[in-house]
This record gives sequence, structure tokens and C-alpha cells, in this order.
Amino acid sequence: MAKLEINKDLRSLNNRKAAENREKFKSHGIYVINMMGSPGAGKTTLLENILPKLGAHLRTAVIEGDLATQNDALRIAKTGVTALQINTNGGCHLDSEMIENQLRKLDLDSLDLIIIENVGNLVCPASFDLGEDMRMVVLSVAEGEDKPVKYPTAFLNADTAVITKTDLVPYVNVDVNVMKRYIAGINPKVMVFETTKKDGEYMADQLVEYIVDQAGRKKGI
Amino acid sequence: MHETVLMRNLLDTVEQAIENHNVKRVNRVVISVGKLANVLPDALSFAFEAMTQDGIMKGAELEIKSMPAVAHCDDCGAEYQVDGFPIVCPACKSAGFRIISGEEVYIQSIDCEE
Repeated sequence: MAKLEINKDLRSLNNRKAAENREKFKSHGIYVINMMGSPGAGKTTLLENILPKLGAHLRTAVIEGDLATQNDALRIAKTGVTALQINTNGGCHLDSEMIENQLRKLDLDSLDLIIIENVGNLVCPASFDLGEDMRMVVLSVAEGEDKPVKYPTAFLNADTAVITKTDLVPYVNVDVNVMKRYIAGINPKVMVFETTKKDGEYMADQLVEYIVDQAGRKKGI
Repeated sequence: MHETVLMRNLLDTVEQAIENHNVKRVNRVVISVGKLANVLPDALSFAFEAMTQDGIMKGAELEIKSMPAVAHCDDCGAEYQVDGFPIVCPACKSAGFRIISGEEVYIQSIDCEE
């Protein structure tokens, strides 16, 4: 019987491609957001509402990940932003190779920002680096205030968390401050934003400002 | 549930590793799984068994070693084991940290007949 030492990470292929993507983004000065969250958290709605505002400052493209359908890419395309759809056919997360394949379809020289909306899932996407600058977790108040502690690994490596649908607080018995405390308990470095609908208007100005600022820093503006 | 993807990578990695060796049979594969890897050992074992029904790895055993999560304190530099949340440095009580291990799924070694 012989023993062969291998010592290799089973995600090494993903990590290598993610590093290649990161290098490509850097050389083009593109800021990249990997957006994660449960199905129904409000990821696509958030995008539909912030893209027109981001568009005033940044040339943006969106990569949508879902198990099936072109629905989300079509929703995004209506805002006038280039949207590419990945269908994972059952796969629970996007990987760096899928992103690499989509990048070939984009004119990277004409972009400042790429937002990747990951497959609706609060577990698996967190374990697969895509080459992003910002990891954003989107969660709605309707999911319950203890969602962060029930799914801690998603928040552990997050840079930002966006609590959506805060206008529903009176109906879902959730304290947003408790939710924030839970997030801080997992990772105090996570920047937390809130979005709400007021008089029919979607409010996410602080988040938009923050993204514009971060993307500007990467470009060296 | 991406355990099947990881198992596919594992089988590819084993095949590459034995390429230049005259291996007749692989008897055992040892992997380590970090506590924060988002991977279920039972699902890994199930996928491994399902994917080694024939070929050079037929009947091979999968040994899964669970690895602790380790954090590095932003403030005092101590390295400590993470046992739950919130993550707080036992030395200085700081809540600022960087995870330095515990998220990996590693293939360590294989036992084989040459």
C-alpha cells in the first residue's frame, strides 16, 4: 500500500479562475459586486430601482444567475442596462468560470461597474469567489430578524448587507435593530443599508452613494 | 448542495495525481472539511459512493476530517479557534477578525495499491 500526499483545495479551480477574473476587472478599472440572498429577498427589485440612479454616474452591466428562465435579465433590460442571464439548470451557485464566459460577451473597456446577482440561495454562493470587490447580502424584513444567525456564513465574508422591505415592519413583527445586532454579532465590519418604499417610491439613496464612491475609488477618480 | 461538484473535482484531482504512478487501485481518500465550508459530510460521502461505483476507485473509502475554524484578531493579532457566534477574541475581547482557516475543503492524501 502506498500513500500519495496531494494537499489540494477542491475549490482550487474556482479560486484560480476567480483570481483571473479579479485581474481582468482590475486592468479595466471595473468595480464588481456579488449580490447574494434568499429567493424573494428583493435582489432584482433592488437592482431595478438603483440601476437608473447608478446610471447617472457609472456605466453598468448586470449578470443574472438563476436555475431557469430569462425573467430577471428581461426585467433588468427594461431599465436600459445590459443584462446577461446565466441559467445553472439546477446548480445552487454561480462559479468563476461561468462569470469568465459571460465577460467575453461584454465590452469591458466601456464599463465601470458589474453587478452579479447570484442564484437565490443564502448558503452555497458564499463559498465560491467570483473575483468580486464587494460581497453584498440582501435580506428582507419578512425573512425574520434571526435570519443572519441562522445563515452565518453568508454574513461572515460580506462587505455590505441590505435590509429590504422595511416598510413591511408593522406587518411582520420584526425589529430591524435586532436584525442589525445579529449581523454585527457575526461580522461587525459589514456595512448595513436599509431600503424602503415610501409613497410608492423606492428609497435606497445611501446605498447608491456608497456604490458610486467605492467604484470611483477603484477607478482612481 | 454543491457536494457533487466538489466530488467531481475530487475525482479529477485524484486522477491527475495518480497519472504518473502505476496505480492499480485506490483504497482510501482522506479529505479535510473546514467548519465554515458550507459542506455537509454526509452529502459528500453519499456523492463519493455514488460516483465510485466502478473504475480504479471502486469500493474506495472516504475519510473526512473536520477542521476547526480559526480567526486572526484585528486588534491584538491573536489566533483563536471559532466555536460559534459572535466571534470575539478570547485575549482582548475585540470583535474585529479575519477568518484564516475553516472555509476550505482539502484533499489531503490517498492510499493506493501500485
